Amino acid sequence: MNNKLFLPNLWRFIWLVAVQVVVLAEASLTADGYCNVLVYPLFILFLPIQIPTPVSVFLGFLIGITVDIFTGTIGINASAGALSGYTRAIILKRFAPRGEFSGKEPIPSPEYFGWRWFLIVTAIFLGIHIFWYFSMAYFTPVYLFEKILPQALLGWMLSMLVVIVLTRLFHPKI
Amino acid sequence: MHSIIQLFIKHGGLLTLVVVEVFCFFLIASYNPAQGQISEASWVRYSGTMLNWKRSFLDYFNLKDENIRLRLENSRLQTQLANSRIIEVPTLDTVTRKVLADTLENKLIRPEYLLISGRVISNTIAVGNNWMIINRGKKDGVQPNSGVVTRSGVAGVVRHVSDHFSLAMSVLHRQTKISAALKGYHYFGSLVWEGNNPEYMSLTDIPYHLPVKQGDTVMVSNYTLLFPEGHMAGIVDKAYREPGSNFLNIRVKLSQSPADINTVYIVTNRYAAELRQLQEEVKDE
Repeated sequence: MNNKLFLPNLWRFIWLVAVQVVVLAEASLTADGYCNVLVYPLFILFLPIQIPTPVSVFLGFLIGITVDIFTGTIGINASAGALSGYTRAIILKRFAPRGEFSGKEPIPSPEYFGWRWFLIVTAIFLGIHIFWYFSMAYFTPVYLFEKILPQALLGWMLSMLVVIVLTRLFHPKI
Repeated sequence: MHSIIQLFIKHGGLLTLVVVEVFCFFLIASYNPAQGQISEASWVRYSGTMLNWKRSFLDYFNLKDENIRLRLENSRLQTQLANSRIIEVPTLDTVTRKVLADTLENKLIRPEYLLISGRVISNTIAVGNNWMIINRGKKDGVQPNSGVVTRSGVAGVVRHVSDHFSLAMSVLHRQTKISAALKGYHYFGSLVWEGNNPEYMSLTDIPYHLPVKQGDTVMVSNYTLLFPEGHMAGIVDKAYREPGSNFLNIRVKLSQSPADINTVYIVTNRYAAELRQLQEEVKDE
């Protein structure tokens, strides 16, 4: 990751963590202090496309544990973030245009691939992240149908909405 | 080294994920009370199950040893059982308890039988004179002319012994003659095989006035040196008197089917030689 790509990602990291812990964590609808709306996964999604998977897993863990430190849920966002760092690589590989990325596009944003492509990729990416997040929050399959799935569905819809608004507002290119 | 790093960067995603997730699980269970309780409860529950699996897995491998141990224990118990049937206290009531207690071990209860456990490794039932081979021999303490019993009945008599094996005459042999009695009476006769059905033998020499009926127990009599006294031999299947005969014809269903013999006990009577010698002396007079 050269300097040209490093700074925008650092800014995204700081701003998304700030929005997450200052605004969204307070606006939680769930009991026990777990967030409904997660936007920090956007940082993981907007990492450079060419980044190696171990690094994206580690950066996912890093932003997750940072959010955890502020919200007092040590390990839960970190676990979901690390998983997202891995699923991102698989999803991008699966949805690569014409089988492979040309290298001209630095990040997987709608500026390069169109809104349709971006919405599909983000929906899958966020869905897995949020499901895993609530699985870790309840930590037992006993609540799968009663709590995990309904809350994950609600959180997924709200998060998609916020993610779309943010992406439209800032038009990230790098 | 450089190529290893390259390889890791290219394919190490899953490995990194697993390592990081294990670390995250540790963090979640350590720093979140609710999740910590759940993981603790699950650990207790599943570690118990897993220890059980391990136990039964190891038990499976121990089956053979366990089997040998059980056989040894069985032979010990059968020995005790055989000896317990012949305990006699040849004293009157005037003998005090103290004397009894002192002498009981050494004098009064003379262990008469010694049972050696073994397995039948070859057995026939189809011909006129049947034999079986047992995987115990001279080196295990087997002597010729020892009875062979199973836990439910009689099996045969050892005739020839090699170092590690012994050849036993099955009960299904024309020369087999087992001194047997009906439970409850002191009359005794001989169990012989007439060569037909391998499940049945005949009990001869029982006087006709005995009210023998179907289902009566036939056991080894106390006149034999081969088998432990009172060991179960069979059950009366049919008893009738031939016209003009003084004896009953008794058909006995063997309690140990000769076709289904695996574990056997070879009986050594410690006083057999002495008693036989005594009998020889009588013969000359």
